[in-house]
Amino acid sequence: MIPFIILAVIAIAGALGVILGRQPVHSALALVGNILALAVLYLLLSAEFLAVAQVIVYAGAIMVLFLFVVTLLTAGKEEGEPPEELGGQRWWAGIFAVGVGVVLAILAVTHPGSAVNTGIPSNFGTIDGLGHLLWGSDFLYLMAVAIMLLTAAVGVLVLNRPMKKSRVSRPGREEA
Amino acid sequence: MSSFHLMLPEYLVVGFVLLALLGNMLVGNRLRLASWLGLIGLLSSFVASASIWSKSLQPQVMVSGGIVVDNYSLLVNLFVLLAGIGAILLGWGERRWGQEFPVLTMISVLGMMILGMAGNTIVLFLGIEVLSLPLYILAASEHTAAGGEAGLKYLLLGAFSSGILLFGLALLYGALGSLSFIHFASLTNTTSPLLWAGLTLTLAGIFFKLGIVPFHMWVPDVYEGSPSAVTQLMAFGTKVGAAAILLRFLDFGFYLTPQWWGPALGYLAVLTMIVGNLLALPQTDLKRLLGYSGIGHAGFLLVGVATHNLDGARAMLFYLLPYGFAVLGAFAVLILVAGNQDTVTISDLKGLASRRPLMAAFFIIVMLSFAGIPLTGGFVGKFYLLQAALFANQPGLAIGLVVGTLLGLGAYLRPVQALFSVGDESRAVPAWTLSGAVVLIVAVIGTIGLGVYPTPVVHLVNLSANFFWLH
Repeated sequence: MIPFIILAVIAIAGALGVILGRQPVHSALALVGNILALAVLYLLLSAEFLAVAQVIVYAGAIMVLFLFVVTLLTAGKEEGEPPEELGGQRWWAGIFAVGVGVVLAILAVTHPGSAVNTGIPSNFGTIDGLGHLLWGSDFLYLMAVAIMLLTAAVGVLVLNRPMKKSRVSRPGREEA
Repeated sequence: MSSFHLMLPEYLVVGFVLLALLGNMLVGNRLRLASWLGLIGLLSSFVASASIWSKSLQPQVMVSGGIVVDNYSLLVNLFVLLAGIGAILLGWGERRWGQEFPVLTMISVLGMMILGMAGNTIVLFLGIEVLSLPLYILAASEHTAAGGEAGLKYLLLGAFSSGILLFGLALLYGALGSLSFIHFASLTNTTSPLLWAGLTLTLAGIFFKLGIVPFHMWVPDVYEGSPSAVTQLMAFGTKVGAAAILLRFLDFGFYLTPQWWGPALGYLAVLTMIVGNLLALPQTDLKRLLGYSGIGHAGFLLVGVATHNLDGARAMLFYLLPYGFAVLGAFAVLILVAGNQDTVTISDLKGLASRRPLMAAFFIIVMLSFAGIPLTGGFVGKFYLLQAALFANQPGLAIGLVVGTLLGLGAYLRPVQALFSVGDESRAVPAWTLSGAVVLIVAVIGTIGLGVYPTPVVHLVNLSANFFWLH
């Protein structure tokens, strides 16, 4: 329980750092802390492969991508906040979010789920167990995720088409 | 029948998605090829779904309870494929939206088909994501300022609601210890606040997709900014998919405990019917008007679920079809009138009755169906919903339905009135296109057919809605 609490505090502190950081680089670094804490949490839950993948994929690849974008886009830009346009919405959103979070946390602590006590299979969380699931009984789910990734790739192509100059030059319908 | 045969409709769509992608890569004149492949793929899937349905099979459970193929899922297939075919025909030859338009439409339809046959929460989530991701892209595919706004709004709010949905599903799993809907019913004999929290969050996620009132803010902006054919797919297909999963999730997974969700759904249904139709009244942009009308119709659909009986399930399933035909017809007219414009306002319709009398007549028919005037499908659908609400002894739902319908009538009569007023003679007369005419004629025949002789479809729906007695 104590390791869990320590990790949870680190993870939440990291998450807060992401949204409260004034500079994008600080946010990215706070995200690394959050991701690493989550990875260790996965280890505690004996999901070894997930923990390793979390570190390699998120803390490694995606974080490097973030840092590239941050350095390319925000170098030398102004650091001030854009003017607030939403009135008091930000405060209300914060109050409601914290309220809902507290209620859910109280629920989870006072009424722990009783049904998840079936125990875990011996190869749970290892690359072997995960492979058996993904390429065995759950193969169709993997297919659905594959189609989602394909969609994302197509989406990059669609959204990065060069912008049309003006409405007049736009070609109309192909057939009448 | 083997599992390959049962899932043939889905495999066909996936196969044609890949073919269309390859075709886009290899062949010249890509747009027409991709459109043809999309049309053939969805049509063949439609035929496959219909032929499996006609064999009247018992529910088949696959992938350890994750996927259920039964008459219900096949009927949902037919509805969403109709929406997809309509979208591809309405976007036929439209260079503005690019050669990926048919591919993304097919993938989105696939997501809706997955939602129809979901048997556990993993497939529920995957279906919603496969449905949404192409729609986020399609919404922004036109590269206008409004399109970008629509895409970004839909993406951000959609991702947020997906997070809420996933949180709810995790809490449900924590409280029940199972992912399969079929186990939910036997596990819901004990109440726990954790279960209620999970159910609430899950329903919030699904309601977002359906456009139920507290979660409806995105609908008008996204509908307005998206290309019209895509808006049609959102208005018809997404509603079918979300309503199908809502019915399966509640009437199959939680059918023993309707007291947990029935009252909440009832209040939301009344609120949605009234607010949606009320906000439709002052709209001048036709796509926004149809967006708010879509919110109102989501409320009508919710009536069927809130009654939590077989009549309600049947009435909701039936209502999807006349609503869908009306959406197809309305968007066909909208696209024909728009030409190369992005938006159509009510004043753009002025004088249509004298310049294109047939088009105006068809438009009047679908608007009357939206409003629920007799001899159109919309009337029969609303009649069944009213009947279900009264049989379930819920007069509040029935009153809300009638008030919502009356408000809607005002909203739908304004564009009809504009048809007959004197318009700007300098505007180009809208030209018929073959694909637009096909969609419009099918929609009108469907609307009148359902209004005059609904018996075959009622029979079809009655046979398909039996799923939740088959525990």
